[in-house]
Amino acid sequence: MGDLFDGYTAGRLQRSPRAWDEMFPDPSAEPLVPRELYADVYAALARMTQDELRGRAESLARSYLAQGVTFDFAGEERPFPLDAVPRVVDAAEWGVIEAGVKQRVRVLEALLADVYGRQTCVRDGVLPASVIGSSTHFHRQAYGVRSPNGVRIQVAGIDLIRDEAGVMRVLEDNVRTPSGVSYVISNRRVMAQTLPELFTSMRVRPVGDYPYRLLGALRAAAPTDVADPTIVVLTPGVYNSAYYEHTLLARLMGVELVEGRDLFCADGHVWMRTTSGPARVDVIYRRVDDDYLDPLQFRADSVLGAPGMLTAARRGNVTIANAVGNGVADDKLVYTYLPDLIRYYLSEEPLLPNVDTWRLEDPGALEEVLDRLDELVVKPVDGSGGKGLVVGPDASPHELAELRVRLAQEPRGWIAQPVVQLSTIPTLVEDGIRPRHSDLRPFAVNDGSDIWVLPGGLTRVALPEGQLVVNSSRGGGSKDTWVLEPREQPRGTGSPASAVDEAHRVPDLVAAQSAPAALSDQDAAEGATVIGAVLGVSQYDQERQQQQQRQRRRT
Amino acid sequence: MKVVHTTGFRYAGEVTASYNEARMLPVGTTGQLVLSAQLELLPGGTQFSYLDYWGTRVTAFEVLIPHSELTITATSVVEVSPRMPPASPADWRTVSKAGSLAVGYVEQLRQTSRTLPPEEVTRLARDAARETHAPDPAAMLICRRIGEAMQYVPGSTGVHSTAAEAWEKRSGVCQDIAHVALGALRSVDIPARYVSGYLHPDPEPRIGETATGESHAWVEWFCGTWRGYDPTNLLEIGDRHVLVGRGRDYDDVAPIRGVYAGPGASEQFVSVEITRMS
Repeated sequence: MGDLFDGYTAGRLQRSPRAWDEMFPDPSAEPLVPRELYADVYAALARMTQDELRGRAESLARSYLAQGVTFDFAGEERPFPLDAVPRVVDAAEWGVIEAGVKQRVRVLEALLADVYGRQTCVRDGVLPASVIGSSTHFHRQAYGVRSPNGVRIQVAGIDLIRDEAGVMRVLEDNVRTPSGVSYVISNRRVMAQTLPELFTSMRVRPVGDYPYRLLGALRAAAPTDVADPTIVVLTPGVYNSAYYEHTLLARLMGVELVEGRDLFCADGHVWMRTTSGPARVDVIYRRVDDDYLDPLQFRADSVLGAPGMLTAARRGNVTIANAVGNGVADDKLVYTYLPDLIRYYLSEEPLLPNVDTWRLEDPGALEEVLDRLDELVVKPVDGSGGKGLVVGPDASPHELAELRVRLAQEPRGWIAQPVVQLSTIPTLVEDGIRPRHSDLRPFAVNDGSDIWVLPGGLTRVALPEGQLVVNSSRGGGSKDTWVLEPREQPRGTGSPASAVDEAHRVPDLVAAQSAPAALSDQDAAEGATVIGAVLGVSQYDQERQQQQQRQRRRT
Repeated sequence: MKVVHTTGFRYAGEVTASYNEARMLPVGTTGQLVLSAQLELLPGGTQFSYLDYWGTRVTAFEVLIPHSELTITATSVVEVSPRMPPASPADWRTVSKAGSLAVGYVEQLRQTSRTLPPEEVTRLARDAARETHAPDPAAMLICRRIGEAMQYVPGSTGVHSTAAEAWEKRSGVCQDIAHVALGALRSVDIPARYVSGYLHPDPEPRIGETATGESHAWVEWFCGTWRGYDPTNLLEIGDRHVLVGRGRDYDDVAPIRGVYAGPGASEQFVSVEITRMS
């Protein structure tokens, strides 16, 4: 074995001794022996020198910068770091993950329908009323808004981690506007181009279906009286950290990418300004947060949405996907009740366990957590992207003292978890290939008749040694995630032999793996062009023009 | 009782688009039967009516005709009968247990930024609770003491005022007095909600005679059932009170809220006329 893995064992023993390693069953063995699952990847990497692999890795980064696959790190535009070593998941384990993610989406849908409906889970004593009543994302404005096919979670991102014993656990649910799927699609394309030899003997399931599935789910949620619904992707704009993703999804689905100023409401419908006049919009795949979506209902100063949008949805004239108010379901305190809710709504046992979690309002819990703060992870219940999270062992005494005060002041606002040593995975860093902690975000798409789980998902790695927070906004990187076909089912319709041959040809491999073409370039070309930036200027794109009106005087 | 509530805005220039929600029409509830209720707009626009989470009748409307003045007129005819105080109000244990039973109680126990009571108000509430034997008499005593301590002074507070600000001045309008009362009631774990509506100003209204009224606000607390009281006027809710909506505070039931595209300056006008019909 070349120099790439030298020092892997030492790095692991030093910082992450208890963590499960994805590639090596015994990372302290000499020499290192990979799990069977990784035998081919390991062998392919072994054939490369450190310089060669670095050259390829640099090419990955260049390719990303050129395509604009970047994210915002501390105000600076950086290429999204993609690591050359893929994560591999075998068919059997994927079967468990897939079923577990589907179960999760089913129960979250049931919960949302109930929370914004009769609230039987409260009446039956499964979920305390106070948990819903105090959730900051329980949007009463969303009461009575229901999409025609009843789906509220068109897209879910369920974050999984593997604990020290090798058990996959759900770390958090994301059913508001989960992002990251564009990296899954782009990672695969770039990996197929740059490191085709890694794919040689493995039957990796393609990820390129995602835009088709998403489009299908959006169409399925359209108002029932529309034969050929007009779908748009609503983005907050170029300054949003996920803007690249919004453009990619719109392009791959062949639909318009719009901003709030491109839309307006009239006669209970939502319209898009185009060169050929207003065009009715039937489904909005929005990547704008609830608070900014409709200034009539939420923040009156928002210019990222359009006033009246929620009324149009309430009337059944437009579908907003994902639904408004979903945040109550991915509240981290609600998360602690998910296993009970799975039993309650689905009469099933949870397929994927949660991470053990303290609810600070439980008797004695706050005292215990405050006592052990330096050994726990503490998270705000309504945060996402690792915002506000404190890892006790890494925090300074000053930070802990501050946190102590905040927890005591508002126990409802926080949960605490033991520090789970997320599994490590070989990752190319400056010194060579080293173990880094990772998680996995599979994406699920719900069209109302079927929940489809993208085979793969976003594997994120924490690049600093020993670091346990993997979010890209906190300096994390990503890996291509390979879900293997079951052994007995060769990929594609061709004969098994030719499938392997084909995989050697890079262009075919890229096409097969990520299906980069737009769904229907024709539709996009024939359709009217959005020119809201020009026409809209007189109305909603100037914040100062938007005033709030309220009755000022009461007796 | 017939209520004609007219409100609107005069703008310094032309408004090209306006989106609003009005909560100005009463709904049927205990002791209140709605015979007719309608909303008129000038200039015209598309209306859509729905019941919100709180059970309030909402009229969502948009005006896309350029205008420099917007007038909304809500006209309703309601039959109101005096509401009976609860026959057997619940004890403390029952009321505090109710908090865990339904979101509808829990959310009326949490303070909002409007109702957050100053220390003095929580002390007043605590004392009243100690001097009485059950939530209902405690709540009544709290509301009386707050109503007595505060002067009704129009103009002393603004539409965004909080309970703490009004209490500091010991004055405000019905909206402020209701917020202070809610803060106090919630501080001793009595679920309490804000009520928006109208009050006929004359204690003995004469039939057919139109009086100039005002928008009004009072409170309801939970004591086994929900029971109302008007702390501003130290009044039981009777056949002069017309109920429009309920919420956690004023913001959940604001009579009109909206956004518009146009000049920044605007002037609002309001008038309420109430006539006893029979």
